[in-house]
Amino acid sequence: MNYKRFIYYQGTIGMASSMIFPFYILLIRNVGDSYAQFGWAYGLFALTAALCFPLIGKYADRVGDKTLLFIYSWGMAILLLFFPLASEVWHVYILQVLMGVLGAVQKNSEKTVLARYVTKEIAGTQIGNYHVWTSVAAAIAVIATGYLVDFLTIASIFYIASLVFAWSGLQLWKLETAKA
Amino acid sequence: MKTVWMVLLYLCIFSLSIYLYSVQSNGPADELHQRLLPVDIKTVKAGMSKAELQEIVTEAKKNEDILSIAGMQHSQGGQTVYPNGIMIDMKPYNQILEVDLQAKTVTVQSGATWADIQEAINPHGLSLKVSQSQNIFTVGGSLSVNAHGLDIRNGGLSDTVSSMRFMNADGKILQLSPTENRELFAAVIGGYGLFGIILDVTLQLTDDELYEIETNSMSYSDYPSYFKQQVKDDPEAAMHLARISISPETFMEEMYTITYKSAQDQKQLADYQKLKTENLIAVPKFFLGLSRINDAGKNSFWETQKIYTEKIDGNLVSRNNAMRSDSEFMEYDNSRKTEILQEYFVPIGQFEEYIPALKAVLEAHPDFNLLNVTIRYVEQNDNAVLSYAKEDMFSLVLLINQGTDAESVEKTQEVVREMIDATLAHDGSYYLPYFGYPTKKQMEKAYPRTGEFFELKDRFDPDHRFMNLFYEEYRP
Repeated sequence: MNYKRFIYYQGTIGMASSMIFPFYILLIRNVGDSYAQFGWAYGLFALTAALCFPLIGKYADRVGDKTLLFIYSWGMAILLLFFPLASEVWHVYILQVLMGVLGAVQKNSEKTVLARYVTKEIAGTQIGNYHVWTSVAAAIAVIATGYLVDFLTIASIFYIASLVFAWSGLQLWKLETAKA
Repeated sequence: MKTVWMVLLYLCIFSLSIYLYSVQSNGPADELHQRLLPVDIKTVKAGMSKAELQEIVTEAKKNEDILSIAGMQHSQGGQTVYPNGIMIDMKPYNQILEVDLQAKTVTVQSGATWADIQEAINPHGLSLKVSQSQNIFTVGGSLSVNAHGLDIRNGGLSDTVSSMRFMNADGKILQLSPTENRELFAAVIGGYGLFGIILDVTLQLTDDELYEIETNSMSYSDYPSYFKQQVKDDPEAAMHLARISISPETFMEEMYTITYKSAQDQKQLADYQKLKTENLIAVPKFFLGLSRINDAGKNSFWETQKIYTEKIDGNLVSRNNAMRSDSEFMEYDNSRKTEILQEYFVPIGQFEEYIPALKAVLEAHPDFNLLNVTIRYVEQNDNAVLSYAKEDMFSLVLLINQGTDAESVEKTQEVVREMIDATLAHDGSYYLPYFGYPTKKQMEKAYPRTGEFFELKDRFDPDHRFMNLFYEEYRP
């Protein structure tokens, strides 16, 4: 994978996920109200991720990073469409579990791509550089979304983020087919 | 090829999700619709059947509990709550009992919403005579606030009630109508749930009809004569509303009007009869959002509304669809601010002098965040003890954005009281379901039978089984 493309891709999905993450709390607040439920929702997310990492790690070497990122993009695009429909706490739990799986895919792939690309001697500079752009994208997204939620409904945030994920998935696809 | 399939699959799920979401969000909301009055409630009991409601009332009598009655809870003055009371949630009591095609009536349980009724009667080509402009409210709630709507020909909502069954504080069921138990009927209509529980209601219907929308814009000073000549005296005109500008450039000067007139060719009705659902709320919500921020936002909100209104001129719409106005875009979620409504009634003959007086009050308070003013017509009506339509009047509904901190509440109160004084000075009145800003004196002036209303309450419910914050606030 072209490194510049990779930063671009990570920037895009970074935007989409930081669009939803802080505001996702608003949704959980609407659905459930206790701190314990909150804890469980995020705990489940982390737990499933933990369980998935060994498996994902193995697959990453076999099927390649691009395929995994591809699964992540489209998985998130589709999963986000279910968020506006969540009305019970257990809906949120299920979504959190699936988010945990996909989150693990993304976390692992991000690191494997970097690991395969960076030169050991200048790894610090390169990874630092990588974080600059992805963080800038995330910051812009978070601020802009704050205004969006005021104007639109919280549900529309999920739809917009879903479209961004779908678009990132398409970009990956193009990349793949262009090479093949 | 694979890409195409993936994208198609994605788009399918995308549209399915939006569809399901819109179906889901058409359902009722549970929380109280303003956060100016936090009140602890002992329990909320849902009444599913008449027997259950009777049991709630007799239990409460035995345990000396206080009851309050709730529908959609969009009233903003605590009419549905009482501290440490039991709130009866009427929403599950919502069956459509009978549609009588011959007599053109519908009998419903009071928790049914206007939308529920529309769905039941639309297939029969029937339509409500009067309903609230928005159809999300329950029938019992609308009667308890003596609501009015867009219709200019069929009087008030109470005029369309043939009869209703009612449960008093003893759990006894009574028949109320303009001829039976008249005194209680007049107290229960616009009675804010203080007399007992409205069980089921028989409403008069009329035929669904195809309307052509006619829009116009004008200065406020031309409006009363326009309304009289082009709307009231035109037998084809059936429903009407207008808006007056909140944009700084044309503030309280420019107006536009929307009138629904009987269409020439009624044969096309069938093409327009399918009930529309609320779509595309993002656009109006966006402009309303801009309008909250500053004057430029208000300008663009007003201009967009105007352009939209011009665009719908000549459109055809069925009566039932005209009676299902959008409201979801007004939903507003902010922890430090909230949106309140005010409604003022002013005699048609006073409108031209009234608007400059109202404008003067508003201009003296530049921080007062007024977002929208809708104007409708209400015909003289004294069915209710607390009747606001002392003569033929225009009603002005004001949407206001305000902070929830003590200082903002006080500031808003000052402006509201001044606006009501201006209204009363023009022989007007104001609407009671909103937050308790008005003074007792203002209520007595706007509603000369206030004393009688509270006496009736004490007579029909001497133990004060049914109570709410409105009573506490305004009892003389």
